[in-house]
Amino acid sequence: MKTRFLAFSIALVAFMPLSAFAQSSAATPAAGDRAAARKWTAPRTPWGEPDLQGTYSNRTITPFERPANVGGREFFTPDEVAALEKRAQEQSGDEGRAKGTRGDVERAYNDFWWDRGTKVTSLRTSLVVDPPDGRVPALTEEAKLRAADEGKRPAFRGAGASGRGTDSWLDRSTFERCITRGMPGAMSPTAYNNNYRITQSPGFVAIQIEMLGGTRVIPTDGRPHINKSIRQWMGNSVARWEGDTLVVETTNFTDKVLYRGAAENLHLVERFTRVAPGQIDYRVTITDPTTFTKPWTLAIPYVDTGEDMFEYACHEGNYGMEGILSGAREEERATAEKGK
Amino acid sequence: MRHAYVFGFIAGALLAAGAGVSAHHSFAAEFDANKPIQLRGTVVRVEWINPHTWIHIDVKEADGRTERWMIEGGTPNTLLRRGLTRNSLPEGTEIMVDGYRAKNGTNRANGRDLTFTDGRKLFMGSSGTGAPRDGRDASER
Repeated sequence: MKTRFLAFSIALVAFMPLSAFAQSSAATPAAGDRAAARKWTAPRTPWGEPDLQGTYSNRTITPFERPANVGGREFFTPDEVAALEKRAQEQSGDEGRAKGTRGDVERAYNDFWWDRGTKVTSLRTSLVVDPPDGRVPALTEEAKLRAADEGKRPAFRGAGASGRGTDSWLDRSTFERCITRGMPGAMSPTAYNNNYRITQSPGFVAIQIEMLGGTRVIPTDGRPHINKSIRQWMGNSVARWEGDTLVVETTNFTDKVLYRGAAENLHLVERFTRVAPGQIDYRVTITDPTTFTKPWTLAIPYVDTGEDMFEYACHEGNYGMEGILSGAREEERATAEKGK
Repeated sequence: MRHAYVFGFIAGALLAAGAGVSAHHSFAAEFDANKPIQLRGTVVRVEWINPHTWIHIDVKEADGRTERWMIEGGTPNTLLRRGLTRNSLPEGTEIMVDGYRAKNGTNRANGRDLTFTDGRKLFMGSSGTGAPRDGRDASER
């Protein structure tokens, strides 16, 4: 037990400076770390732009919003990190799984299929870094009214693994329909396939997304956004370089998918900065005055995995959709039979 | 005391963690919590497809008939990344399935727990693959 804790401490020490550096705006790295940070300069492409290329994973066990039990602290203590990571490594697929319950069925299958990560990847207590309380700002009154009317829409706009009913495939989420997890959902970690490949050429950055597939091809040549009348699932992105940082602005979203209640009025500003040889500090500021009472920002470390990307051809094998709808019909038939 | 604190802390933090437990689609919408099922059968073929892998098995019924069943697993991408391939579960392998039957009444179930007949887990992540241990394999006890 003691040996294990020691090994864990060593692992922590090895990984902490990286994280502390990644979070340099608020952390206070030791003098040695700061010196090391100064020595390292971000690589450049042959044509002189910051080089972000690589294959990254953003899996993390860092909570999305700050848990109530950390007393408002921005960073975990090393003890807390060790406890969280130990727990994640030893996580049992059977934790809290009572057989015969909906929760157990939703857990779906053995843990080896999941890839949620076993590291917090930053010392922060939440991925939400602004507002300073680490919580998503309250919804506007307008957004609450819209939410109450979601049932009247021609199709369900949720992007999780869920639906508003089972009458039609249109009652299932855009994720279950193999369309999109929305933005910035597609750039945020989920339970597996949290992989991204960034490639660059003069004038363009491409971000290939494993989960649900698709590639964002983003111009960096100074062109403006496309006409506002053109609306896209992933919006329209244009980018510029600010020092070592790629700044991507995305607008022109469709009204067909929601991100926490926001849709066509979303305005995203993403910042990609390589802060260490194998790590990108990814930040996205989410603005939509019709949905959120104030803008808010997520910070998610993207860590170079050296792993391959694999295709995720979602639609061709989506037997689950058929199973959900035909299952509902069978339940209706059985209920009608009982009523006779 | 400190142990108690850290334990409470973990429980709270994990509850708050958004690292969703859900798969690509709702399994509770597809499979019936009231119909748990145990199957023992031999692998006929495996569809290593996205969004979910399907393992086809032949199950011998008590009366000697053979029934074909389809078992839903997760994305093959995770397994590929951990070094497993389409050859890792060859035809004819005998496996045990503990899951829930599909609501639509067909011979489909989810593979809540997939094991070989001697109790070893299928696809257990080897050391260093990042696969979490779930305590169900004999070697983890």
